[in-house]
Amino acid sequence: MSSFEEINIGDTLGPLELFVSKDQCRLYAKTMGMGDIAGRFTDDEAAKKEGLPGMILPGNMSLGLLSKLVTDWIGSSNAWLSRMSTTYRVPVQPDHTITIHGFITNKNPADRTAEIDVWIENEEAERLVTGTATVEFRK
Amino acid sequence: MAVNYDPALINKVFEVTEPVDVKAEKIQRYCAALGETNPIYTDEEAAKEGPYGGIVAPPSFAVTFRNGRHFFENVPRFGRRGFDAGKDVEFVAPIRPGDKVTLTSHVKEIFEKTGRTGTMVFVVIRSTLKNQKDEVLAHIDHRFMNRT
Repeated sequence: MSSFEEINIGDTLGPLELFVSKDQCRLYAKTMGMGDIAGRFTDDEAAKKEGLPGMILPGNMSLGLLSKLVTDWIGSSNAWLSRMSTTYRVPVQPDHTITIHGFITNKNPADRTAEIDVWIENEEAERLVTGTATVEFRK
Repeated sequence: MAVNYDPALINKVFEVTEPVDVKAEKIQRYCAALGETNPIYTDEEAAKEGPYGGIVAPPSFAVTFRNGRHFFENVPRFGRRGFDAGKDVEFVAPIRPGDKVTLTSHVKEIFEKTGRTGTMVFVVIRSTLKNQKDEVLAHIDHRFMNRT
């Protein structure tokens, strides 16, 4: 990845375009033992009974995908994702293409950190999940 | 309408959770489910040369640990349906295979909000994750949204 000196406010991460299938959503939910908590992550009918349009991704899965955007950028360097905040605004549905974006909003030389806005969009460019990340560029 | 709850709930620390063994295989399955390919999380040999001297879990793995019964025993239910509204996570140290992870949690805040879709009650749970060496791995503020 780029060094702390090389990055700039306004630099972008991604965008990462992803098609998350229902099977991948189920795999995540089942791996994390969530299928037994709420059928909304594994089953369209169970989700519809809750008034949802169909299956949705667990919030934690969205957080995982947003973190992945940042850790892909970090690669195998020793920069450290130190904070991640997320807000789940609109449910993320599987079997759709989502795009994951990042944008550097601040750079603090005193503690060698970068602040990054991150978000997940659907095909209509609606922001479904928004968040912020902090990366520490360790020496 | 103000939301009703016992004020003694706030800051009351739940019993610490039973340690959860972090198995290498669980990290692999987590990576597979997210489409993770970064060798510091997926390739033992490559990870040895990386910044942590071996495989670590992706940072977001921290949010997969749960309070389980400790949550249900301590947090009243507000409304019929609960949703995950968001998280604020501070990642302190990497989670490694072989770690035994516990959560110590408390209710940080309960508040009501009325939006375009009606009234919601938010419960914020703060959890601290530690390993078997009593090292802090992460602090997580988890916002649960309940529809009344």
